Amino acid sequence: MRNRKISFTVNNEKVTLHVRPYETLLETLRERLLLTGAKEACGLGSCGACTVIVNRKPVRSCLILTLEVEDAIIETIEGLKKNGNLHPLQKAFMEKGAVQCGFCTPGMIMTAKSLLDRNSRPNRSEIIEAISSNLCRCTGYKKIIEAVEDVCSKE
Amino acid sequence: MILPKLDYKKAKSLEEAIEYFEKSNGEAAYFAGGTDLIPRIKLRLRTPSLVIDLKGIEEMVGIKKTDEMYVIGANTTIFELKNSEIIRENLPTLYEACAQTSCEVLQMRGTIGGNILQDTRCLFYNKSLTWRRAKGFCYKMGGNVCHATGGKNVCYANYSSDLATALLSLGSKLVIVGKDGQRKCDFEEILTGKPEKPFNLRQGEIVKEIIIPGGKRQGAFEKIRIRGSIDYPLINGAFTMDSKGGKLVVGAIGSKPCVYSVETIEEERVKILSETVFNDLKPVNNTVVSPVYRKKMGKVIAIKLIEKTKKGA
Amino acid sequence: MEEELYVVGKRVPRTDSIYKVTGAAEYTADIKLPNMLIAKVLRSPYPHAKIVNIDISKAKRVPGVKAVITGKDGYGVKWGVFKYTQDHMMLPIDKVRYVGEDIAACAAIDEETAQEAIELIKVDYEPLEPVFDPEEAMKDGAPLIHEGYPRNINIHVHIEVGDVDKAFKEAHYVREDKFRAQGEAYAMLEPYACVAYYKNGYLDLWMPNAGPHVRAKALSNLLKIPLNRIRVRHVFIGGAFGGRSEVAPADFIVSLLSIKTERPVKLVMSREENAISSRQVHDVVARIKTGVKKDGTIVARDYEVIYDGGAYSSTGPIAASVPFYVYEECYRMANVRYHGYRVYTNKGIRGMYGCHGRAFLAGCEAQLDLIAKELGLDPIEIRLKNGLRAGEETATGSKIISCGLQETIEEATKKVDFKNKWKKATRLKGVGMGCVAIMCGFPMGFRSGSSCSVKFNDDGQATIITAIVDNGQGNESMAIQIASEVLGIPMEDINIINADTEATSLDPGAYSQAATFVGANAVKRACEDARRQIAEIAREKLSCEIKDIVIKERMVFSRKNPENKIPISWIVREAFLRGKPIIGVGSYFPNIDLKREWVSKPFGQMAGSFSYGTSVAELTVDENTGKIKVHKFIAAHDCGRPINPMAVEGQLEGGIMQAGIAAIMEGNIWHNGFLMNPDLLEYKIPTAKDMPDIETVLVTTMDPEGPFGAKEGGLTIRMSAYSAIASAFYNATGRLFKELPLTPDKVLELLQTEEG
Ligand code: FES
Ligand code: FES
Repeated sequence: MRNRKISFTVNNEKVTLHVRPYETLLETLRERLLLTGAKEACGLGSCGACTVIVNRKPVRSCLILTLEVEDAIIETIEGLKKNGNLHPLQKAFMEKGAVQCGFCTPGMIMTAKSLLDRNSRPNRSEIIEAISSNLCRCTGYKKIIEAVEDVCSKE
Repeated sequence: MILPKLDYKKAKSLEEAIEYFEKSNGEAAYFAGGTDLIPRIKLRLRTPSLVIDLKGIEEMVGIKKTDEMYVIGANTTIFELKNSEIIRENLPTLYEACAQTSCEVLQMRGTIGGNILQDTRCLFYNKSLTWRRAKGFCYKMGGNVCHATGGKNVCYANYSSDLATALLSLGSKLVIVGKDGQRKCDFEEILTGKPEKPFNLRQGEIVKEIIIPGGKRQGAFEKIRIRGSIDYPLINGAFTMDSKGGKLVVGAIGSKPCVYSVETIEEERVKILSETVFNDLKPVNNTVVSPVYRKKMGKVIAIKLIEKTKKGA
Repeated sequence: MEEELYVVGKRVPRTDSIYKVTGAAEYTADIKLPNMLIAKVLRSPYPHAKIVNIDISKAKRVPGVKAVITGKDGYGVKWGVFKYTQDHMMLPIDKVRYVGEDIAACAAIDEETAQEAIELIKVDYEPLEPVFDPEEAMKDGAPLIHEGYPRNINIHVHIEVGDVDKAFKEAHYVREDKFRAQGEAYAMLEPYACVAYYKNGYLDLWMPNAGPHVRAKALSNLLKIPLNRIRVRHVFIGGAFGGRSEVAPADFIVSLLSIKTERPVKLVMSREENAISSRQVHDVVARIKTGVKKDGTIVARDYEVIYDGGAYSSTGPIAASVPFYVYEECYRMANVRYHGYRVYTNKGIRGMYGCHGRAFLAGCEAQLDLIAKELGLDPIEIRLKNGLRAGEETATGSKIISCGLQETIEEATKKVDFKNKWKKATRLKGVGMGCVAIMCGFPMGFRSGSSCSVKFNDDGQATIITAIVDNGQGNESMAIQIASEVLGIPMEDINIINADTEATSLDPGAYSQAATFVGANAVKRACEDARRQIAEIAREKLSCEIKDIVIKERMVFSRKNPENKIPISWIVREAFLRGKPIIGVGSYFPNIDLKREWVSKPFGQMAGSFSYGTSVAELTVDENTGKIKVHKFIAAHDCGRPINPMAVEGQLEGGIMQAGIAAIMEGNIWHNGFLMNPDLLEYKIPTAKDMPDIETVLVTTMDPEGPFGAKEGGLTIRMSAYSAIASAFYNATGRLFKELPLTPDKVLELLQTEEG
């Protein structure tokens, strides 16, 4: 099966690639663009470790074909730092101790970011609702919730 | 986990989608959100040579309300439904079902059409090809034994759509488009009751929209699952009540939800009804809890739903 | 006088977190080396079968396939941590012992090709009768899984102290119960992966591990390559919880493939493979018999615990013992008998788990509450009465040098008004607690100690070199924090080289809760050594006494004349000029009885010190649906002194989820040797929505041996949170659990049985 040409924007950079039609966005990001921040923990949509933002919506990149994102605007964890400054969520995750092994962290932060993008002042239960899309095996979620709350209270 | 070889086409219109399908020799699969289909392909449960993306078909998106009915485009996401004022205000049964489906991120991707057309599930079936090959293919896979029961030529996989249970209680109809044009039918009609082939759709047909009778509809939805998010139902139930009576639906056990007309909701009748539900349900050992538990929960859910609706009314 | 500390004890962001929040942290699956091949493994479809023939000829011919291996390519060495547990060849040649066992493997230019080749390998098997249930496996006549292990008993630990039978006779009240628990999945979010690169006789490896030296040793034996040629490298690790402790077949396979091809080879397991073919947690059956005096003093205990070990030994003797030890390190046991059996079955290999042994521990603690009630006492009284205190000795002869058990009990229960709530447990609402102690490191022979060195750059910044491993719990940051305190330079001035067998010296790894107590103790000593050297030079420059030297914020000065400061970098340069650069070394070996042995001599000092903890849970049970809702959870842990309170809290919070909420959700389900929930959908890791309101309390006991008074940082909650749930369930329903997890179906069944 021939590779197909596709263009989209990742972290503000326009890319044009040739991909297999049955290639997932997660594979393209990790294997072709070497953006390995998004992780594969289940590959079946159950965990959220592969979460990236496509056209302002969080998606499980292991469930998406790359060909689906023609012309889309994609944000990954690697693009959050702007002009050398960490995104407030990145800072809060560090300062509040919301990171342990870190395997869930990129996905978790992207889910949280998409929440803040659509609702800059979510309450606690809205935060819990959003981040219950992502599994974390280490933290018990308390400090993750606190980190997101911290960002909301500062904004 | 890598996908097997397949081709991808994005349709801009229903006609185009159907045309792609026609050319595929029946080897294509439609998909919208892909949250059910892609994992199945990854596990080699389905092996389409082509997937046809329906997300670009604009006429399939949106929620419209008239006095007589609600028309929901099949590509409307569960998240959009959940956040729609129309749904929340008028169709609490559906709203609750949306809110309890999977998790928010998947609600944003999953569509109502995809959700009601999700294939049935079983602990012995939704596994990798390696796992299933080692165990021996079950009946749904083309073998002849059901691993869950040991029975020959039977299947007890569960139809696990939360939205379907709610929609059935709302008396929904589907608008279906195929190469020979458009048809409309009761949602219930397309459910075969056969777990190995749960839907009565002709080859290449697309569910275009879901139609729900109009008005403000009292009701409730219940779901039992182990964890609060990212979990399919062990059993679910919905109840909708109108002036003419109510409809109780109990689902996620077997491939077709049980539907009951409820004329009155006085206590004695409800009790009898709940016994009927208990007797009708035939769960087997194919989820993470015992079948007898799920059977008992049918009764519990039935009573709870009707009480909740009474209170809400 | 309380010493003044600048960094230790502060809530500092972990040094590794910057890599993790930016996506820059490189985990094994992220590694990409030039010319790298991808490996795939063929796995056994049978739980028990003889391997008659393996035909790899077709697989070899697939274009793009560079190597195909079977057990015949190995050296016939069987690995086991102990002499008496050497039973695992990694790629078997005689027979397969569980579904998912590694049979053959290939390396190819990409995953698709590797997969295609694997499918072409043809194996002829002769199925053998399998056995899945450990109690069945112990019966005479059951099929034997390994030669030389009658009744499939892999390990039998027998401990007997005092006169148990006599004590039972004299007891006022005796109670016996049987408890079960399904094994859990570690479910670390990172699926197992390994990269190996063999070139010019040297083998470099990256994989999630809990101790690079232990891993290198195993591979050195299995591959017959000397230790200096096996180099396990540092890599970020996505969780371990005990499950990355042992050498994995994947390590051996990828190494062999790389040796054959002289190219880097990567293997990344799918989630399903990780669940089925890496490690799992023991299913446990525990028979618990307890005798008490009228006043609540426990006088007799008789325990029989059966651990389903799966197909191979793994860390068998440790697994068969630890649940007992963490209990005897907590309570006085004048007369006790413990029989721990680890039994082979035809299921996946079981390993140690951070929450290991829940049937036994939750069983003991829930039963204790029932006994208390029977005697008119409450859970707090009976625990305080029987709990060990500093200065006492455990039943098997470990001296306790610091103990905060009482404080953790008091602090944790105070937060929920425990006494009143327990007495007035309204129907279906209850509170419960569980206590435990944890050894800070346990005997691992000459691997029990750790050492560290520290060097300075000419600008006054330092690098510490230690074998400490960070599986995600924050050990790297903790070591840097301690170094920063001792050296008087900020954390950002310190780099760490760790978890690399080539650069670092032997260390127990993040395995036996030794990282803080042993590893960081060595870090502290190395930094003290460097500090001494700095102070020597500073004393001359400042004309003062060594004892007055202070190093703070990169400056060195005399306490007596703080205005006169010298930058640390000047001193470092001076040292270079003198031809004696500042290089500190330090090591620590805990006070343990090296003659102690898990099976043959289970007596003597187990560890240098013990941490203590108490979990308290408040929950309600829905009598219609059987669903348990945990409302509140309090975890109090005596960690000596927290180095980074935020990190310790994180451990407790994780423990509440992984052991506490897990007690109502998590368990492996089996069907004739097949794992039914090897995924993250049907294996229920709790989500944020399932978590209760959490409070954590850190109790300070200032351990005399630990670095800055610190002990192990949080495992007590991982081993007591389920007890709190089980006890609270008893309080709410009047029923002891029969099997964990308490899923709604089991709860409903219990509610419909007689009370008590
Ligand atoms: S890896 Fe995509 S959801 Fe788990
Ligand atoms: S920090 Fe380890 S999985 Fe979340």
